Amino acid sequence: MKRPIRQAISGAIYTVSSLLGVSAFLYPFFIVVSPQSPAQAHSNDAPLVTAALLGLLLMAMIVELQGQTLGAKMVALLGILTALNSVLRFIENAIPGPGGFSPVFAPIILTGYVFGGRFGFLMGVFSLLVSALITGGVGPWLPYQMFAAGWVGLTTGGLHLLRPLFGPYRHQKAEIALLCAWGFLWGLLYGAIMNLWFWPWAVGPPDQTWSAGLSLADGLRNYGKFYLVTSLAWDMGRAIGNVALILLIGPPTLRTLERFRQRFYFEVRPAHD
Amino acid sequence: MIDPRIWLFWAFTMLVAASEVRNPLYILWLLLVAWIVEIRWALHRGQKIPWSFRWGVLLIPLAGLFNGMSVRIGETVLLRLPSWLPLMGGPITLEALVYGVLNGMALTIILSAFLTFNRATPARDMVRIVPKAFYEAGVILSIALTFFPLMLRTVQDIREAQMVRGHRIRGLRDWLAIWLPLLMNGLERAVRLAEAMVARGYGAPFPSGSPMGVQFSLAGGLTALLGGWLVRLFVPQHRDAGLGVLLLGVGLILGTVWWVGHAHPRTGYRNRSWTLWDGLIGLGCGVAAWILIDPFSWVDPQALYYSPYPRLLLPDFHPWVGLGLLGLLIPAFAKRSSEID
Amino acid sequence: MIEIEHLTYTYPGSPAPALVDLSLRVNTGEFVLIAGPSGAGKSTLLRCLNGLVPHFTGGTLSGKISVEGHDPVREGPHVLSRIVGFVFQEPHSQFVMDRVEDEIAFALENAAMPPGEMRVRVEEVMHLLDLTPLRSRKLETLSGGEQQRVAIAAALAFRPRILVLDEPTSQLDPQSAEDVLQALVRLNQEWGLTILLAEHRLERVLPYVDRLVYLPGPNGRAPMFSGPPREVLPHIDLTPPLITVGKALRWEPLPLTLKEGRAFAARMPALPPVQRALSVPPRENAPLLRIQDLHFSYDHHPALCGVHLTISPGETIVLMGRNGAGKTTLLKCIVGLLRPQRGQIWLNGEPITGQPPEKICQRVGYLPQEPDMMLFADTVMEELWTTLRNHGLQHAPPVPPCDLLVTLGLEGYADAYPRDLSAGQRQRVALGAIAVTRPRLLLLDEPTRGLDYWLKQQLVRLLRTWKQDGTAVLLATHDVEFAAQIADRVVILSNGQVVVDDQPTVLAASPLFAPQVARLFPDTGWLTAEDVMNAYPIGV
Repeated sequence: MKRPIRQAISGAIYTVSSLLGVSAFLYPFFIVVSPQSPAQAHSNDAPLVTAALLGLLLMAMIVELQGQTLGAKMVALLGILTALNSVLRFIENAIPGPGGFSPVFAPIILTGYVFGGRFGFLMGVFSLLVSALITGGVGPWLPYQMFAAGWVGLTTGGLHLLRPLFGPYRHQKAEIALLCAWGFLWGLLYGAIMNLWFWPWAVGPPDQTWSAGLSLADGLRNYGKFYLVTSLAWDMGRAIGNVALILLIGPPTLRTLERFRQRFYFEVRPAHD
Repeated sequence: MIDPRIWLFWAFTMLVAASEVRNPLYILWLLLVAWIVEIRWALHRGQKIPWSFRWGVLLIPLAGLFNGMSVRIGETVLLRLPSWLPLMGGPITLEALVYGVLNGMALTIILSAFLTFNRATPARDMVRIVPKAFYEAGVILSIALTFFPLMLRTVQDIREAQMVRGHRIRGLRDWLAIWLPLLMNGLERAVRLAEAMVARGYGAPFPSGSPMGVQFSLAGGLTALLGGWLVRLFVPQHRDAGLGVLLLGVGLILGTVWWVGHAHPRTGYRNRSWTLWDGLIGLGCGVAAWILIDPFSWVDPQALYYSPYPRLLLPDFHPWVGLGLLGLLIPAFAKRSSEID
Repeated sequence: MIEIEHLTYTYPGSPAPALVDLSLRVNTGEFVLIAGPSGAGKSTLLRCLNGLVPHFTGGTLSGKISVEGHDPVREGPHVLSRIVGFVFQEPHSQFVMDRVEDEIAFALENAAMPPGEMRVRVEEVMHLLDLTPLRSRKLETLSGGEQQRVAIAAALAFRPRILVLDEPTSQLDPQSAEDVLQALVRLNQEWGLTILLAEHRLERVLPYVDRLVYLPGPNGRAPMFSGPPREVLPHIDLTPPLITVGKALRWEPLPLTLKEGRAFAARMPALPPVQRALSVPPRENAPLLRIQDLHFSYDHHPALCGVHLTISPGETIVLMGRNGAGKTTLLKCIVGLLRPQRGQIWLNGEPITGQPPEKICQRVGYLPQEPDMMLFADTVMEELWTTLRNHGLQHAPPVPPCDLLVTLGLEGYADAYPRDLSAGQRQRVALGAIAVTRPRLLLLDEPTRGLDYWLKQQLVRLLRTWKQDGTAVLLATHDVEFAAQIADRVVILSNGQVVVDDQPTVLAASPLFAPQVARLFPDTGWLTAEDVMNAYPIGV
């Protein structure tokens, strides 16, 4: 009786948080729209507001997920997989890949796919946080990174629902192809989201734009131009890197995670009698 | 040693400052403050020039150039690019260039401040300031930091173990022989660690679920936040009501987090006590933050505002604002402890 | 007080129960040693005491368990963590924090103990285990023995009345193991802690043990023995040499310490010292491996300072020495994982110094300390093929992989997932993965670590099989009894130099490396229980 209600509320929390996240990321464009944005002090607040909002969302979601997901097993597993992912990022720092390529996304996608969206979200959030702590990368960009990487994992949980189609241990080409396409998409999207933390600095306050009353569509078009010029090539490195990495490590990693999941999770049977 | 929370407060105040201020004189002022503190706290051994200085050299002209190319207003036209050039065609103005340079400087200030924070605060101490409501998250971070060096060593062991089987890294495929043992090793360790934690009384092996109340108030808070915000953006006549709902949502979320933190009491073994320097730095940041948020409304509400458009003018410099921002310089004088890892 | 009645437990998905109808009673303050071959259910039994079984592992359990009046099955590990402290096999896989003090305090913080009391508890257990000087050290900088003492301290932070340890010394070198065991003896004798210890190294703890529990069979089929050591030891077929000799010579009461044993040995008729026949013809043969004046240092810390060594075909050489004497460094230099700064190595007369490891390893097999790092394929057979492919030998394997699996005793496991196998089996898979190129020389680094007597005997048999094919073996070990059984020659390293290179009988005179039998019968040249039993007809 209680379970469906809980699940419904959880679902509501993820949905509303994601909507809020989207609006937070789009906030710089909304400011442009806002007809009477006062051309005064506090006109550069957008990134601060967004970062604060993302921080708040992260807090709410972590509290929710802590309660639902984190027994000792998950805590240990997340801690160690996060350390593992940070090792990958550390190696990447030593041997840089092409463009924005980073090896951290493939494990987030793969674990999110096997263990579900909640796990994927936490895996994304903590992977970015821990590697920032280790490499000294804490800054106002961190909530953006955490939230975006968390999204990668959370949305991969949606693909998780398709898993029964593929069956256990088989991992046909279609499954890997799906994950590759996913990795490609998120490789680009992640870059587009991350640019937003300094986008307002790049375009300046609204009164700088030459025509007042610029619409949301114009804002997006401007951003599109900005993105094409500054980031597309860079992000392509990440997207293609994700595809290559998932093609390479995907099948055996899925098999390994699968075996492990069967050992780690089990039905707790009534011990007595 | 300065408390990590104070460092965080300082870095945040710098962030707010860099976002709020576009007056070239104040920006320069803040940049100097940031660099002095960085030189004091964040130089590696043998390093002379702060990292963010090098970044600035790259970032500031780039930002200027970018803004100059993309913004077409301002009265002092330096150059007119032919209009058939895609994206770049049009007038290039001094004002736009200057504004871009200011943006670049603001970014450099932020980089510098957080570089200092990262260098001055060991990762362990950052984990220790995680609020009680995020206890599990703190434990995850702690485990990750503990196992990170072990995993690095494991990578080396695996490389050697594979080399003696004739393995060489010639292409991308060959990384599999490193990645898979690493993953398997990590998964096996996770089981053993979880077992050890349970044996020491850490929670239940499976989650029991948080009380429904927590979920309800989180969902409610988030919905209020979203609703209030949308109203504020799209229904201008109810802006204030929107703000009220928005704040209610924020309050609900923060209240829930606070409540979760207090529902499961935990104590700390290491309790850092506040020092005089912590207090002084906190005070300095507080003064600076106050100036930034409410800049001498009794003197001049527009004291911080500056725009180069439509024509570049010499900015004002309020000595009181300058003095207040100097509060951010206090960490440069604090004593560094000699603790070495 | 612990009472177990008719306990039967089956792991999830396992066809056979791990424990069958087991009953046991342990009184407060007893020191209980739990022995038995790997897979007999020692770990499972211990995990029943604090509720990890079945709360952590799942599965089905029947029977009754009572620990100090608590029911672990009903109350679960969270409650039992206050009553039973638990220490695991691998020290570095049980830590959450990075420093000694913080790690000990972790469980207390988690239980919201007031800070004042927490400090008292932490000081108390640090004092108990001599950790006070190490209090703010980073855990990763500690030795294995020190880490294991931290784990014990952390387990004792709640002041439990019972301490349970699951093979806490199996990953440690003898000196560290000794430290840990001494700490346990002190905790039991001076503080009256009830201790249950699963342990391979019977010889070190037997004198202190009140009760020995022997679980003989895999999957708990065979009956269990429990009682004072002298009553249970006759039922155990593989025991430390002292006990084996004592049983064979019908010494009554069975000696548990060397001191007791010597009293019996002195009464035995004296025999002239024997010379062990060398099983390999001496060195006129062309040497298989020749090392000359080898030097290596890690960032100005010298590890090898002018090592000379020759190995003939078919010879088994045991490399001994204290921690940090340079044993592993020497092995890694031979296979090219480390580049010596000076000196030369010849394999079959060809200089190999400076060649890449993947090339050398086609002719020299090297088993690192942690063979698990090698394994990642989906099946055992695939592991062997992976090595063959690496060397480009997949079309002409020097040994047919199926035959090799038979030699390794893994014939039934060709399709098994390597990571599902037991530690001993995994080691043999790793051995297969390096031996599939049919190297003439095998280098083994601490091959007996974590193995019990039964698995060690299997390894001895395997190495003897290979020896008959003419394979030479150079193995680094701390295990003197194993060395005594297998060595044709003993090389002792100290401070990066060879200080002894001689027949194994030199071990007898060494205060550091003498096996039990040599201490029991000094001046006889005997090293193993076999030597004694060959000299004295049964039942003198």
